[in-house]
Amino acid sequence: MPPLDRRTFLHLAGGAGLAAALPSALAAEGGDLAKAKAEGRAVFYANITAVEPVVAAFTAETGVKGEYTRISSSKFVSTVVTEAQAGKLLADVVQAPLPVLELLREKGILAPYRSPAAAGFPDWSRPDDSIQMFGIEYVSYLYNKTQVKDADAPKRYEDLADAKWKNRIVMADPASHASTISWLVGLKEKVFASENDWMTFVKGLAANRPMFVASFGPTPAPIESGEKAIGISMPKYIVTKAPAPLAWGPRGGQPLLGTPRAMAITAKAPHPAAARVFMDFWLSPKAAGMLAKDVGEYVLTPGVFPPIDGIHAAKVLPIRDLDDAEIQKWGAQFKQIFKG
Amino acid sequence: MNDRSARLTYGLIAIVGALTVAPVAMLAFGSFTAGLDAFGHFTLAKYVAAYTDPALLKVLGNTVIFVVGSTLLATVLALVLAYLNTRTDIPGKFLFGVLAIVPMMIPHVLFSVAWALLANPSNGLINRALMDAFALDSAPFDIYSLSGMILVEGLLNMPIAYLIIAPAMASFDVSLEESSRVFGAGTWRTLLRITLPVLRPAILAAFVLGIVRSLASYAVPRVLGMPGRVEVLATYLFEMISVGFAPDYGKAAALGMSALATSIVLIWVYRSLTSEGGRFVTISSRGWRPTVVPLGRMRMPLFALVTLLSFIVIVLPVAVLAYTSFVPYSMVPSMQAFAQMSWRHWTEVFADATSLLALRNSVFLAVVGATVGVVLSIFVAYVIVKLRTRGAALLESLTYLSFSFPGIVIGVGFMWFFVHTPLYATLTALLVGYIATYLPYGVRPLASAFVQVHAHLEESSLVCGASRMTTMRRIIVPLLIPGVVAAWILMATMFLRELTLSVVLSRPGSEVLAVQILGFADDGLWGKLSALGIVMIAISTALVLLASLVGRWFASGAKARLEANA
Amino acid sequence: MEIRVEGLTKHYVAEGRTVKALDRVDLTIPANRIFTLLGPSGCGKTTLLRCIVGLETPDDGEIRIGNEVVWSRARGVAVPTEKRGLGMVFQTYAIWPHMSVFDNVAYPLQVRGVDRATIAKKVAAALQFVQLVGLDRRSATRLSGGQQQRVALARALVAEPKVILFDEPLSNLDAKLREETRKELKRFLGELDITAVYVTHDRVEALALSDSIAVMRAGSIVEIGSPQKIYFHADHRFVADFIGRANLIPATVRGQADGLTMIDCALGAFACAPRELPPGSEATLCLRPEFLHLHEGATRPGHNVVTGRIESLAFVGEVYEAEIRAADLLLLARTGPDTALREGDTVSLAVEPEHCLLVSA
Ligand SMILES: Nc1ncnc2c1ncn2[C@@H]1O[C@H](COP(=O)(O)OP(=O)(O)O)[C@@H](O)[C@H]1O
Ligand SMILES: [Mg+2]
Repeated sequence: MPPLDRRTFLHLAGGAGLAAALPSALAAEGGDLAKAKAEGRAVFYANITAVEPVVAAFTAETGVKGEYTRISSSKFVSTVVTEAQAGKLLADVVQAPLPVLELLREKGILAPYRSPAAAGFPDWSRPDDSIQMFGIEYVSYLYNKTQVKDADAPKRYEDLADAKWKNRIVMADPASHASTISWLVGLKEKVFASENDWMTFVKGLAANRPMFVASFGPTPAPIESGEKAIGISMPKYIVTKAPAPLAWGPRGGQPLLGTPRAMAITAKAPHPAAARVFMDFWLSPKAAGMLAKDVGEYVLTPGVFPPIDGIHAAKVLPIRDLDDAEIQKWGAQFKQIFKG
Repeated sequence: MNDRSARLTYGLIAIVGALTVAPVAMLAFGSFTAGLDAFGHFTLAKYVAAYTDPALLKVLGNTVIFVVGSTLLATVLALVLAYLNTRTDIPGKFLFGVLAIVPMMIPHVLFSVAWALLANPSNGLINRALMDAFALDSAPFDIYSLSGMILVEGLLNMPIAYLIIAPAMASFDVSLEESSRVFGAGTWRTLLRITLPVLRPAILAAFVLGIVRSLASYAVPRVLGMPGRVEVLATYLFEMISVGFAPDYGKAAALGMSALATSIVLIWVYRSLTSEGGRFVTISSRGWRPTVVPLGRMRMPLFALVTLLSFIVIVLPVAVLAYTSFVPYSMVPSMQAFAQMSWRHWTEVFADATSLLALRNSVFLAVVGATVGVVLSIFVAYVIVKLRTRGAALLESLTYLSFSFPGIVIGVGFMWFFVHTPLYATLTALLVGYIATYLPYGVRPLASAFVQVHAHLEESSLVCGASRMTTMRRIIVPLLIPGVVAAWILMATMFLRELTLSVVLSRPGSEVLAVQILGFADDGLWGKLSALGIVMIAISTALVLLASLVGRWFASGAKARLEANA
Repeated sequence: MEIRVEGLTKHYVAEGRTVKALDRVDLTIPANRIFTLLGPSGCGKTTLLRCIVGLETPDDGEIRIGNEVVWSRARGVAVPTEKRGLGMVFQTYAIWPHMSVFDNVAYPLQVRGVDRATIAKKVAAALQFVQLVGLDRRSATRLSGGQQQRVALARALVAEPKVILFDEPLSNLDAKLREETRKELKRFLGELDITAVYVTHDRVEALALSDSIAVMRAGSIVEIGSPQKIYFHADHRFVADFIGRANLIPATVRGQADGLTMIDCALGAFACAPRELPPGSEATLCLRPEFLHLHEGATRPGHNVVTGRIESLAFVGEVYEAEIRAADLLLLARTGPDTALREGDTVSLAVEPEHCLLVSA
């Protein structure tokens, strides 16, 4: 079923009062909220950052205390699995890149839940009955507006391989940074016409000797300060780092790619009702609005966009999720190309 | 009495062992286990995979250069500074205390980032200035290089070396040098043939600690090595555990085992080099002639050098931090940048409930953790240096166990361990983890302080009928005050900025400063990160001042008692 | 070599107070003698010694060793310690803990660039001299106190300096060893043609060892002389008091008679060893306990005799020490271990005029 149809269907269904037929009916929510208040709090493990205001809004609105712990994606699986095996998983709700949650689901750590708040989301955002995607960790190139004139700015991905950017690019290490690896692979599958074209691009990028950093976090600073002109980074920094002179590309119709951000409730959640209430809130237009506006996140909530010039017109696509073996294989290959 | 020494030794072995063996054992299990955690089917595959990578050789070569280079730099700098401060008439001695301590208070990530800002080849401030001044076409410095990494890591590790060497230097029996001069040796020859060899235990201790520390260090390789494409063990391990979403810590642990083995071997070598019990006893209870070596014509040039060093090590990075906390985003200093300065990052940090909680937790961990850690360290150092019972060597190695494991892996070992205890996800878990991991910061300065306490001093007190405990309390501890203060400062400032364990162990309610700072770093929020970093430095400063004052107060009391007894 | 010190002044500032450690000291130390600086702790002996070796810089004055001026404020001369060519034994011995006995002793020669064969020969000789043969490979800290002291001595002697200085070298030894070592030291030094400057606060050591003694007080030299002169014929009350047990009684000079000096004091009239003092001047009568002869019963007529009562009698080993109350004074006297006297007995005390010493008031 094409997404649009599904969405329309859900709208219709809601409008026709068919909501009661869905797995978690809105009718039950009143009961959940009371139970959640009795449970007192909802614990949220997430790799997404700077979401304290959203968690605070949850507490304010529901009266259930939201507690947020940030766990980086490289430690996410090991932390959650360790805790779960010892019967001490503290989290009620977990949020991480899709592949992480799929690993956790395979280990039986996630519970099925379908939030009514995600009714308007695209169909592909629900790969199974427990995982719900809500955003895309969109990646693209950023450049310094004051250093690079609009006319000179790279218009297409291919332009990054232009020799004029030699020694002027910063990016996360393509040998190890999973999101960057996935992004490069995503370009092959979703942007470039042929594997050859893509390989030419990758080799051209490598020939520009980009400066490597450990993750996306350190990428904007060198662009802002002018140490480098261009970075493979996340457009959300245009929001969080305003008024830094950052601009994004490509604006010529090529899509932006990213790993889906997903969330789920844990199977043995210490506060199950609070977990559901939290997830409902997180997926609500209000929370999505905050994520987009304050954190610059790209959310799947229809009609909500981060306040970045031109982003509403951009095509933002989820990258096919690569398993670890594939990421490692590509990582090794990029290591060859970029550092060999 | 021998019985009691043995009981003390084994008691401590049990305590320290419980603290440090558990996480390492977990990692050892993990390295032999198929799957992602500590228990499962036995396999050697991880070792095979970890050690057969052809790239490893290059990495190891870089690692050796990095580790030895930075440790040499740190030790030599510390020696020179300690000598200038304690033994010469150089002016501005207050600088030395500051110089020795400030780098410990600056989170290493921030220090490295500050250096990247100063000396990156594209637009580093120092490079820019030099290029403008001398009309150069290319940047004279590249901080993203092995030598840049050695410089920064060396500066960062210098305080540890200084805090170990300076007390030994200060309590050095000057008549050893004076006699050398009477017999015809000049200042230089005396330095080389008498002073340095007599200080060998402290110097070696500083060196070994430096090696172990820089082997496990991650911040500098990450911030400076990665852009320079210089891979060392720490970044190699990071790559190993960060490719993909289900990293195999067991494999990283398999590699970490050789870092551990290296450290253990070093410690044994160190022990055997300094094993002759009474050899390096130098303090004499009446040695109060702090004769000062006149520097003569070298006085001002050396002072200028120290000032320059202070500028590089303290002023520049702190200034960079302060600057970054006021500008809206990373910008090269300019009129435009100064015009845009505001308190925005500061108000945001102070409005953030988690940051405030993290602040409280970190201060608690620093004060309580360092205090408990120092008490434990006093006993451990006493057994290692003074009792030298059969278990002492084992005890000493145990103190280094989790310390010498690469930081990014040991945290996971602790998690695997704590999750089986009720301590999991509590502040106490952090406390225990900190003390276990950084025990050498307490034991090392105290051990070199103990070495300086003449056996006769103890014996005379024992003869006076005091019990061993009383001896410890009345005679030894007061003489150890400089060591105690050094140990406390090292531990407290370390705990205040601890990241590697915290990032794995902290949970809602047990957030700490460094984790908060890392969060900001991951979001590229350098402004907030700098603001919080400065808060952290301010707290560290307060703790250090407090410790020094308390130490001075105790020391003057102890001196009065000694004189009354004499 | 002779050492001459002129107008040497040194002060310290410690905790806000100024201490005059040396106050215009003038001193000539004769060549090839054992010369002792004696005085209570803190009187400036070490400071003087350290100024001579050059470990301390004086404020003012001049120091000559032999014919060479090694330090002079007026002439702006300051020969550094290592160029003065001296030998010294430190109070703590300052044996280098990281070296063997051999290396410790060889050091002064190595520093002077002497060749290996000569070093081996001279070290062997020095060790032989101090009777440490066979210990040369031993780690220097694995020695007893007495052995360490001898290593320090060997090291000080090995380069055959013309002057050797000692700063309380025996104070770290126990009583018996101290006595033996003192005798040995005297023998060693007697066999060498060397100027020895010896610092101590122990009067017995000073008396037993020295050719001459300089007594110091509060940064100045009070009196210089042979041990006998210092002990029996001190000029100063301080010296007489410091050098041995003494009964010190204020006295007034009456005049000279029969080659003796006549005085009055609380004990009555005394004839004393002659001293050029004008009649009517104030002086102090110094009576050493060992020269007070005790007799049972009251006074028999005669010069220099007093009657008193034994207040206490204490056996201290070789002798009894008696405290005798006479004319409101408590006098210390000695009597043989075979005495029949008891506490409470009335006794007469007699003392020969030549043992009645008049010192400054
Ligand atoms: N380095 C110093 N600093 C301050 N005062 C000192 C120092 N050395 C010695 N003094 C003071 O100088 C005086 C003489 O000391 P010293 O020569 O060591 O005496 P002695 O050796 O006769 O016992 C003492 O009052 C002592 O306290
Ligand atoms: Mg003295």
